[in-house]
Amino acid sequence: MSDETETRLIVVAPDSEITPDHVARFIHALELPITVKETCYGAIVEGKKELVRKALQEVRKLDPNRICSKIRGFPMGDMRRCRAHHGSRPGFPQLEKEWETLPLIAEGLRSAEQGERIEEPERKEKLPVKELKKIVEEVS
Amino acid sequence: MKVFIDPPNSLILYDLVERFGHEPLSTMGALREKVTTLEMDSPPLNITHEDVQKGLKYAGIEVPSGIRGRLAIFGPLVDEAEAAIIMDDPPYAFGCVGCQRTTLMLKYLIRKRDIPMIEVKYPTSEEEARVMVGKIKEFLEGLS
Repeated sequence: MSDETETRLIVVAPDSEITPDHVARFIHALELPITVKETCYGAIVEGKKELVRKALQEVRKLDPNRICSKIRGFPMGDMRRCRAHHGSRPGFPQLEKEWETLPLIAEGLRSAEQGERIEEPERKEKLPVKELKKIVEEVS
Repeated sequence: MKVFIDPPNSLILYDLVERFGHEPLSTMGALREKVTTLEMDSPPLNITHEDVQKGLKYAGIEVPSGIRGRLAIFGPLVDEAEAAIIMDDPPYAFGCVGCQRTTLMLKYLIRKRDIPMIEVKYPTSEEEARVMVGKIKEFLEGLS
């Protein structure tokens, strides 16, 4: 595989009105010579780097803050990873967790676009042992 | 600029770095080369003796092999980086899908490089997300 080939995950945030089906159809409609596969979280695209980037640029216009993307190391349908060939998918729990967090990131991007100045929220401190002992004594 | 992201496979950080016009250095990019290069000696993932030796540059021989193996991939990326973003406490970097000791070693390597870096917390609320994205945006826009 040449260095110019890129495989990319296009991930749609769970609160987006765009569906993975919509994303896949949209990319097909661009008529670029790249491969597209619809997935549960969005789509995987593979092809020449510049074409994949072009597709991403276009698809992002559908919902700019809720469509995220990263590259993938393994090529699409690789025997070592593809579930159709009983391959393992070790990165999925991580992807799933970050997918759940994407609505928060979308809110962060909206806030950054509007140039809002945000004060850092106070972090909850751990309960001191003395306090805990006091609570235990009160209860018992 | 080449920006190293920690966790190195993070979707959120990879997307933000690209969005604000920089090149993220990630596990996926490093592994791509390995898994797509034709190598007859060590299928299926093409891990060779050289990789094991590379890991020794970043961690001593007494360090568990899993950490050394991970650092053989992440270490050269840290060396290549011109800036770094560290996201603290990502829930998936602990337990069976992560390696806490590698994360600690990685943070140490980044700090030792003395490059521009920023540490943010994995967001758990909208307020925290606004702070995190705001800080990352400011940091990335400030890189020349």
